[in-house]
Amino acid sequence: MRIEERTYTKADHLRPTGYVLKSLIVTFKGLVRATKNRPCTVLYPWERLVYPDNYRGRPGIVLERCIGCARCARDCPNRCIEMVEVELPAGGKAKRPQVNVGRCMMCGNCAETCPVNAMIVTPEFELCSYSRADLIFDPVKLQYPHKPGYEVNYEFALLSEMKKGGEVRTYAKNDPNVHDNVVLDAPKCISCSRCAKTCPAGAIEMAETGELNPKTKKPIKRPKFDTTKCVVCEQCIEVCPKSALSIKEVL
Amino acid sequence: MATLYTVLTDFTQWLMDLIAAILDWTKLGILSDLGDWLQSAPVVDFVTTLLVAVIYLITVMMFALCFIWQERKFLGRFMDRRGTQVGVLGFFQNFADGIKVVLKEHIVPKDSDHALFEMAIFTYLASTFMLFGCIPFSDNFYVIDVNLAVLLGIAIFAFGPFSILVGGWASNNKYTLIGGMRAAAQLIALEIPLLLCVVSVVVLTGDLSFVGIVAWQEENIWLIFPLCIGALTFFIAAIGESERIPFDLPEAEAELVEGWATEYGDIRWGLKMASDYFRAYILCALFTMLFLGGWAGPEFIWAEAWFLAKTFIVFFFFIWVRAATVRIRTDQILKLGWRRLLPLAVINLLIAVALKVAEVF
Repeated sequence: MRIEERTYTKADHLRPTGYVLKSLIVTFKGLVRATKNRPCTVLYPWERLVYPDNYRGRPGIVLERCIGCARCARDCPNRCIEMVEVELPAGGKAKRPQVNVGRCMMCGNCAETCPVNAMIVTPEFELCSYSRADLIFDPVKLQYPHKPGYEVNYEFALLSEMKKGGEVRTYAKNDPNVHDNVVLDAPKCISCSRCAKTCPAGAIEMAETGELNPKTKKPIKRPKFDTTKCVVCEQCIEVCPKSALSIKEVL
Repeated sequence: MATLYTVLTDFTQWLMDLIAAILDWTKLGILSDLGDWLQSAPVVDFVTTLLVAVIYLITVMMFALCFIWQERKFLGRFMDRRGTQVGVLGFFQNFADGIKVVLKEHIVPKDSDHALFEMAIFTYLASTFMLFGCIPFSDNFYVIDVNLAVLLGIAIFAFGPFSILVGGWASNNKYTLIGGMRAAAQLIALEIPLLLCVVSVVVLTGDLSFVGIVAWQEENIWLIFPLCIGALTFFIAAIGESERIPFDLPEAEAELVEGWATEYGDIRWGLKMASDYFRAYILCALFTMLFLGGWAGPEFIWAEAWFLAKTFIVFFFFIWVRAATVRIRTDQILKLGWRRLLPLAVINLLIAVALKVAEVF
């Protein structure tokens, strides 16, 4: 096979029109534009761009809304959220998220996954500090006054609808068609009612099934799930001593 | 220079008298003789010339530093951004850079030729500073005005490639060697068209001193009009001579780190970098004096101001070309130098000779 030798064509010559004149004209236009108007750069500490309303800065929290379901801690891709105990104003202690902002990549996943919109995204992005300890935001420091638009809603196309075109829609966070469901493997259940005690959303109720325990002659109770209340935090699954509960994924 | 020179002569005279009086007071024969020698005319002349040269050098260096600032700001606007922001309008960036390079350590590569390594950068800088002396600001602010000033200036300028080649070789580094070789090839290829353009100016004006050339242009016409081809050739060759984009092959950062100056650090590198701009200033000043009538202009501002304004405008075109074009290959540079610029320069010389023979001016 003959290798074609690269030869000079007419365009390769240093022609004044093509190589020099055209580029000179183009750059001069740029100079006039940048001198007449302002350059497109922004002098950052003194000038700021207007950030969009749904800007995703550091995560914030509205403590009154938080139910301590720990879904944010579970879904955080960088594992920067940890549940710590804080004293509630009403008395008692509860677990609330603490965010290591130094590790946070500000994806807003925690706000999207939060079932009660307690986790929000804030427009704050200037987070420099002199020590790493300052970057760990405990629940109190993490608080941020809520404004409409700070919460992140479910906006997606369902996988089951992908074949039909997959239209992106906004879903309510408690929409049982969107979130997964907890199912009970009834023969395994020993009616200990730990799931009902742990549930942060109060979605589990121990209901009588109508059967009687053949030994003690007492009515058998089984957990009953209120799918609109359930936030799929999977705490009941973790706490179940007999692994009777499992997640049924919605598609 | 006359007034400044007389003032400084008086000052030197007073200083030497003072030193001689102190030496006389010691009542020692040798020291009294020394005092008498210090008061003699040659010594006073020498010291005065030295003082004038220092003042002139500092003045020119300050204006040449403005070139760096001008380049930074204009390149910024060409690229749709602001230039440097340090200090008042970014002017203190030069000084910040200068302080930084002064604080650096002086490192000589172990396997380099130490003596040549030090000498090469010294000769490069010295030739640059000598060139400052050849460039007058106006007909009464200059250091030397010899009859052959043009020839002297070009001769000193031609010393640059030599020190670049020696410096590149002495550093014992492949990048510096390639950079030095490229510099030698490129500068020689572009120096001949440059010189021919200067020759055409000399033919037309019949004078080899800058003051004479400018005086001729003031009487007749700015030479850029009859010798427009020569002016263009000189401009392109001048960009190549000052090693600026698109002809910055000797220090092509993308290929050769820092070209022939890779191994130089500290203030030597800082001065080398500044001397690129000093040389650009010298070439702009040459263009101004040879083709744009030098300091000639309406007398509502000083002649020096006219000269500087024209120089800055010429340098604006340097920056413009830098912003617009990309670096070209070695063979393209040589081809441009030998096949395009040289014929143009010869044609320009013929035009000059024809104008002279026809006695148009």
